[in-house]
Amino acid sequence: MQLEYFLILAAALFCIGVYGLVTSRNVIRVLMSIELMLNAVNLNLMAFSNYLDPASAKGQVFAVFVITIAAAEAAVGLAIVLAIYRNRDTVDMEQFNLLKW
Amino acid sequence: MQQILIQSSWLIPLYPLLGAVLTIPWSPAFIRRTGPRPAGYINLVMTLVAFLHSLMACIQAWGEPAQMYYLPWLQVTGFEFTLPLEISAVTLGGAILVTGLNLLAQIYAVGYLEMDWGWARFYAMLAFFEAGMCALLLCNSLFFSYMLLEILTLGTYLLVGFWYNQSLVVTGARDAFLTKRVGDLVLLMGVLALYPLAGTWDFDQLAIWAQTAEVDPTLMTLVAVALVAGPMSKCAQFPLHLWLDEVMEGALPSTILRNTVVVATGAWVLIKLEPVIFLSPTACEITIAIGAITAVGGALISAAQIDIKRILSYLTSAVMGLVFIAVGAHQSEAALLLVLTHALANALLTMSAGSIIINCITQDVTQLGGLWSRRPVTGLSMLVGIVGFVAIPPFGGFWALLKLLDGLWVDHQGLLVAIVLLVNWVMAFSLMRLFGLIFAGSSQQMTIRAPEPIWLMVMPMTIGLGLTLHLPLILQGLGLLPTWMALNKDMALLTIWSSLLGLAIATLIYITRLVDNPTALVERRIQQLLAYDFYTPRLYRATVVWFVDSLSRLTDWLDRYVVDGFVNLVGLASVFGGETLKYGNTGQFQFYALTISLGVIVITLLMSWQYLPW
Repeated sequence: MQLEYFLILAAALFCIGVYGLVTSRNVIRVLMSIELMLNAVNLNLMAFSNYLDPASAKGQVFAVFVITIAAAEAAVGLAIVLAIYRNRDTVDMEQFNLLKW
Repeated sequence: MQQILIQSSWLIPLYPLLGAVLTIPWSPAFIRRTGPRPAGYINLVMTLVAFLHSLMACIQAWGEPAQMYYLPWLQVTGFEFTLPLEISAVTLGGAILVTGLNLLAQIYAVGYLEMDWGWARFYAMLAFFEAGMCALLLCNSLFFSYMLLEILTLGTYLLVGFWYNQSLVVTGARDAFLTKRVGDLVLLMGVLALYPLAGTWDFDQLAIWAQTAEVDPTLMTLVAVALVAGPMSKCAQFPLHLWLDEVMEGALPSTILRNTVVVATGAWVLIKLEPVIFLSPTACEITIAIGAITAVGGALISAAQIDIKRILSYLTSAVMGLVFIAVGAHQSEAALLLVLTHALANALLTMSAGSIIINCITQDVTQLGGLWSRRPVTGLSMLVGIVGFVAIPPFGGFWALLKLLDGLWVDHQGLLVAIVLLVNWVMAFSLMRLFGLIFAGSSQQMTIRAPEPIWLMVMPMTIGLGLTLHLPLILQGLGLLPTWMALNKDMALLTIWSSLLGLAIATLIYITRLVDNPTALVERRIQQLLAYDFYTPRLYRATVVWFVDSLSRLTDWLDRYVVDGFVNLVGLASVFGGETLKYGNTGQFQFYALTISLGVIVITLLMSWQYLPW
């Protein structure tokens, strides 16, 4: 097993996350895509930590922090979604284009 | 005392200038209650002072060598502009002529402009002219002569545009200004091109330089032709002659001045430049050709006019053409004499024409007639003017033309002799036709009640008459006439015959009225051609005016649409760019996320381009 495989897998996961982030119409799915991207980052961190820095394992510490931050971010994100939903009665991203030119 | 008069001759142009300034308060806008007459009286006094000063200074300077005075004007690196004044009998004599004629014209104007409110403007302009002409006479530098000629051009514009609510006056003043400006500008080219060659602009230094100068003939021809072009427009020479016809719309007293001395300013500069022009035989030939064409054309056109003032103005062009011939044939003395005799005779003719116009209102000679019995003084003045104008001994015009013809004959210029005789013949015919149409025949509606005008107009006219009659005596007293032995009797006889023939034919046709309808004698098309001045206005409009007009329209179009358009395009492109690029802000979060992702991808690709495996 080599580092590259992990990295390629993480990159693929990240790209899937980006694709989901850009194309989803549902806000919840956008948040889910962001979670996918964060998890791809975590994969990266873990892989680097294992293969390049096994002694001090700083990457793992980073990953722990990312997981906690991601949990907080998802909570705040869902709160924002709820706040928008209360006003506009929809979670469709295409209805949220009021702040244009 | 004697020296003081001569040394202070530079004051002569300043008297009328002061008069011009002093007239300003009597413009209708300042002194509203008393009327404009004091303006005229002040100027009369000033002109009288200038006249007396130049007269006495001339008496003192007679027989003495010319005295030169130098007034520093401007010093810039490499150039020292000094205004040289030449105080000699000739220049002071010219000043006498100018101030004297101005005095007559101003007295005349007191009578003529009785019913006019614009005295301040009119007399200021007359005085301005007088000052300019006196300065031109005394000034001995080509550069300052050019400046004065330009000032006089502006003066012509203002003086012709005196009654500016008449549309023909406005167009006439415009044409006079532009036509004279064209000549002045070409003269400026000549003046500027002459300095590197001669190193001086003083006329006497130029004459000395011209004696030994060795210049490339082509260059000299070009410079000399440019120098001739200025006087060409000033003297109303072909093809820049239309303005003199059109400025006849101006007030008559100014016409006295214009026909006699203003057009002669160009001739004066030309005569002074004669040594320089003589360096180039081609330029001499061109000068002669211009003069000959104008003399013949002007005389013929004048014979076909029906407007008194225009008959006289074309004769002025014709005489100036003779002056051009004289200068081109290297006879400046004959040219000067011609200018002198012509000035007096033409002033007399113009004054008598004005005396007719003021009472008969019409200027159309076909509507005049039968005035001899009731207008003897005006009639006699016109007759004397005629004999002084054409070559009838013993009057002035005869001696000037004889001198010219004599010189031409000695130079073996047979063709020119024939042309001058022909011009004299036609001029005699034209003037006698004018006299016959006004004074002979039966009274017409416009002339049935025509008294002589008031003394203010008759007096200057009779003084002019006396001067014209005395001119040969004055010339003899000054020793300017040839002796009996030196007289070229063949030429004299030919000259007299040519004048008599012209006078006789016109007498037969227009006084004894042998022919019922004189206009039927000439074929209609030729008649129209001459009456409409060879269709010169159409010629101008079809060539120069058309060209400049089209060119300015084109440049205006280019400026508006190409240059402005280009600059506006830049602005428009920015506006358009902003207007279109703002749609990049879609307001959709996901679009921004996409842009960020693509940006990251592109930057990553760019930065890692060289590390990629291929």
